[in-house]
Amino acid sequence: MTTLLAKLARIAADDPARIAVVEGERRASYGELWDQACRFAAVLAARGIGAGERVAVLLPNSIEAVAACYGAWLARAAIVPLNVQARARDYAVWLDHARPALLVHEAGNAELDAAIASAGLEAMPRIAVGDASDGAPGWREALDSTTPAASLAELDPAALAQVLYTSGTTGSPKGVMLTQRNLAANVDAIVAYLGLGAGDSIVSVLPFYYSYGSSVLHTHLSVGARLCLEPNLVFPHLVVERLARERATGFSGVPSTYALLLDRVDMAPHDLSALRYLTQAGGAMSPALTARVRAAFPQARLYVMYGQTEATARLTWLPPERLEHKTGSVGIPVAGVEVQVRREDGSAVPTDESGEVWVRGPNVMQGYWHNPQATAEVLREGWLKTGDIGRLDGDGFLWLVGRRSDMIKTGAHRVHPQDIEEAIAELPAVAEVAVVGVEDATLGQVVKACIVRAGELTADQVKAHCRTRLAPYKIPKHVEFLAALPKTASGKVRRVELIESKATQGAT
Amino acid sequence: MSQRALVRQFILGNFLFTTDESALKDGDSLIRSGVVDSTGVLELITHLEEALRIRVPPEEMVPQNFDSVDAICAYLARKVPA
Repeated sequence: MTTLLAKLARIAADDPARIAVVEGERRASYGELWDQACRFAAVLAARGIGAGERVAVLLPNSIEAVAACYGAWLARAAIVPLNVQARARDYAVWLDHARPALLVHEAGNAELDAAIASAGLEAMPRIAVGDASDGAPGWREALDSTTPAASLAELDPAALAQVLYTSGTTGSPKGVMLTQRNLAANVDAIVAYLGLGAGDSIVSVLPFYYSYGSSVLHTHLSVGARLCLEPNLVFPHLVVERLARERATGFSGVPSTYALLLDRVDMAPHDLSALRYLTQAGGAMSPALTARVRAAFPQARLYVMYGQTEATARLTWLPPERLEHKTGSVGIPVAGVEVQVRREDGSAVPTDESGEVWVRGPNVMQGYWHNPQATAEVLREGWLKTGDIGRLDGDGFLWLVGRRSDMIKTGAHRVHPQDIEEAIAELPAVAEVAVVGVEDATLGQVVKACIVRAGELTADQVKAHCRTRLAPYKIPKHVEFLAALPKTASGKVRRVELIESKATQGAT
Repeated sequence: MSQRALVRQFILGNFLFTTDESALKDGDSLIRSGVVDSTGVLELITHLEEALRIRVPPEEMVPQNFDSVDAICAYLARKVPA
């Protein structure tokens, strides 16, 4: 097994002028990226930061975010990528839980400043990227003032590489712990089925702090390919223009990414003839949208994939030549992964029968950072309980039919209802609240809040409060006021009924 | 109503859910702060097209023209000279 760091080092040495990352008008070659990583590693070493420690990275997708990641690994530390759309209440919880030895962040992040003040983390060392007007030393100055000292002794494959937080719920943060071996194994498996090589280039809108975006980054850098970063999908035509201009060979998205591109952009004037592969993960894409994607990009192979952050990224893939006959399936296990479908008691179900999806492989996480209870709930004797319900057909293809948890999938985001419920419950006029995901044509699901009032309260007041407390994608699109929440005899909220009452009059 | 007031009123009401003028700074990035997303920007553009009887062609739908209240007002001033 070769670590991702060793692969990057080799490409930088063999072909330093090859372009690694394109960000707007900026282009970083493999040589430049490696130099930045070595300098950042030297900065860490000078501060005594190394093995067993964590470096938190709160940056939008950028050349610096990539250099910080590989530089931290070079210094033997692990990285903790944090969601740039999150709010102060999330950062306070994550930073307090992860206790990083250093935080690299974008200058002028008011939410971060609020979190540091509220959690009493003023002493935490920081480096700011961009205009360092807020007191933290600057990234550029820090790197320029060091001498890169790259001595690449082999990394321990068992060393912690990454902690990815999947929830900000105050009770028990879940930080997925991935080792260098986890990352390398999953990257190798993905590179193999996509057939990635140094001639490839991908346009990516997926943030590195999500497993999908992280996977797109590392798979491409591991083979010497080029990664073109687009900051968002606010103007979908700019993404398509970038695909054409860069002669990109690949593109990755969740179903809503493709829905936005196809709904909003006329592909005809754009030369996308270089595009050879498209990947889709992050929830089921409807057969109708799948057909539209294939029609819009006839020369590209569409790879439907399934995975979890707890399994680094990918668990299964659907070979494009089987897409026609297996539409709706998430395919076969990636190399090295075993998939089983089991009953509640842990026994295996026969072919074509539904149960919980259990997986095993070199990509399965080590557990949740400092959370043995949550770890014990999902890791059993080397197997990961995914929480997804599915069945395996006679050909060994996996079909997902549902999920055990109440997690909401909206666009590329995973949202835990409790997170939003906690924020809404802060309002004095809220007696009870339950949050569910309801269907949305573009985003898959959107957030709906069902509230029992204890005083005067409007839907706009709820949304305005959420805007100050939650990431934008967590703000409820619909707010419904009810006389009471439907509950079971034991007092548990019947979420299904709330989802079904989507069409209820009076919801806004 | 001035163009600036039109823009501010729409953003405050539809994306910030408030009438509190202090909630919106004219120079702040609407995209980076998550105030507008891909759906929101389209709603905003449609509203401006209808209210000001203009047409915003795709090539003008770029962050330089729509990332802040100031940028939008500068764009509108070029589009609809006062």
